[in-house]
Amino acid sequence: MSPGAGGAISAHGLGGAKDLPIPSELAIAGAVAALVVSFTVLAVAWREPRYDAATSGRPAPAWLDRLVSSQASTVAARVLGMAFFLYVGAAAVFGKDSLINPFLGTFYVLLWVGLVPASLVFGEFFKAVSPARTIAMLFARISGVPGGQGLYAYPARLGYWPAAAGLFAFVWLELVYPGSTDLGPVRLWVAAYLGIMLIGSAVWGTTFLARADPFEVYSSLVAKLSVWGRRDGVLVIRSPLANLDTLVARPGLVAVVGILLGSTAFDSFRESTPWLQLVQSMSASRVLPDTLALVCFSAGVALVLTLATMATGVTSETPRRALPDLFAHSVVPIIVGYIVAHYLTYFFEYGQQTLIQLSDPFSRGDDYLGTADLQINYWLSMHPTFLAVTKVVAVALGHVVGVVAAHDRAIKLLPRRHQLTGQLPLLVAMVGFTVGGLYLLFAA
Amino acid sequence: MSGRGLARLVPLVLVLAGSLSACGEDADPSTGSPAASESPSSSTSSSTSSSTPEDESGGDDTEGDTVTLEVTREGDTFTPNGERVELAVGQTLVLRLTADEAGGLHVHSTPEQDLVYEAGTSEHEITVDRPGVVEVESHDPDSIVLQLEVR
Repeated sequence: MSPGAGGAISAHGLGGAKDLPIPSELAIAGAVAALVVSFTVLAVAWREPRYDAATSGRPAPAWLDRLVSSQASTVAARVLGMAFFLYVGAAAVFGKDSLINPFLGTFYVLLWVGLVPASLVFGEFFKAVSPARTIAMLFARISGVPGGQGLYAYPARLGYWPAAAGLFAFVWLELVYPGSTDLGPVRLWVAAYLGIMLIGSAVWGTTFLARADPFEVYSSLVAKLSVWGRRDGVLVIRSPLANLDTLVARPGLVAVVGILLGSTAFDSFRESTPWLQLVQSMSASRVLPDTLALVCFSAGVALVLTLATMATGVTSETPRRALPDLFAHSVVPIIVGYIVAHYLTYFFEYGQQTLIQLSDPFSRGDDYLGTADLQINYWLSMHPTFLAVTKVVAVALGHVVGVVAAHDRAIKLLPRRHQLTGQLPLLVAMVGFTVGGLYLLFAA
Repeated sequence: MSGRGLARLVPLVLVLAGSLSACGEDADPSTGSPAASESPSSSTSSSTSSSTPEDESGGDDTEGDTVTLEVTREGDTFTPNGERVELAVGQTLVLRLTADEAGGLHVHSTPEQDLVYEAGTSEHEITVDRPGVVEVESHDPDSIVLQLEVR
């Protein structure tokens, strides 16, 4: 009730205590593992490409395909997504400007972090529940536009660039903007996002949402590491590696993975003592240096990936400048591994807190969902060694999957005599990402 | 479907998993007994705190020695500036605050703790009962004064 409970805590972001740094032995073990795995994959792995979107995967049981493809279940997912959106939207519009308003926790924790595990388990999760997509489809139905079409065809050369812009806008709001936990600015951000999505889908159809909606693009990227895929419209079960290989490279994909990995690394970096002391010893606000650092981290990842993938011999069929986007899929597992390491406690503990807050959307002491009296389980925080081991295993596992994915793509695309040497720069870059990530987990 | 190629990687992954978990077990004793590793850093500063007996707070069940830290505020500048302080779970940190203006500090533990101070010198106690990094932050001016590494 009192404004002091939430209103004053502005410059901090959501959540209380953060994870302890991981022990140095674990960080070193993880880095050595990444190095050894990388070169072992290069030395012993297969020499003929084995992942092919046209043939990979075995059909899922027919009843499952019928169930998930049925009109009833698609509509049910949309109705659930829309109902949850309206419920949280009501808290955003009519609730109090306080940290106990569940809108903030839903936006930063359940949506942004939660879409990763949801997409890993269920596949294209956000696409199925996205309120922007639901509203766009309703508009299209009312105005009699045939399914999914807009006024124009979505320009292919735009690719994922609009999503990259949207993702950057999100991470800037979350990590740099000082009012990131004030209700007004976050509500404005969401309103602008919805507005852009609706206008875009009216002009370019639902293809726009698949390319430009930051949450849908992120969720669908991560869904490529689930076991669910489709081949000629049939639901298939694939290994995550074979599924990852089916990711279609489009312009801007490098920027998307650069922002996702770079921003998470920046989140660790901005808490580190040297950076903190530097920005706080400056007389001006830390928005400008933080923005610059966020841009440097995101652009840095994208640039390293671009250079490392282009430093190889090529065949006449694949132009050199197409390579960065064609290899960008191999960074997705590294992102997911690092996201697990970075957000596990936050998701587990602040996610529980958000579930509790959701019962009281207007901060009046209500208990709509019956969750208001639950207690938060702090088991993870109380077991820092287990937590640190889990983080390093997640990072190492993500690295292994990424390296294998890059290897398969290299032997598919590169000319035979460059297949091993051509992978080396990318391998070094990936080891760099992983070791850099572990270093930040250790030092920040 | 990719079984054969992946099968060649299985031994490697097992070795790595083994080495990682071995490292985890190595790390266990050091984190299992935090008080022992903390005592050198806390004993140095506890000598300063022994000169100021602070017994008036009733529900104070300190497990280890207290750590005392000087914090000064001059205008909009805090000293220290975002420094890391190591602390054991349940150990009491005494902030001896010298400020030229009144204000407040937030301790971002869960749940949050608020400290309100007046101009002049005052003492405040902070205890954190869960491992993690806890920020001690000033609002107006916005700056992080300390990061407590609680083990």
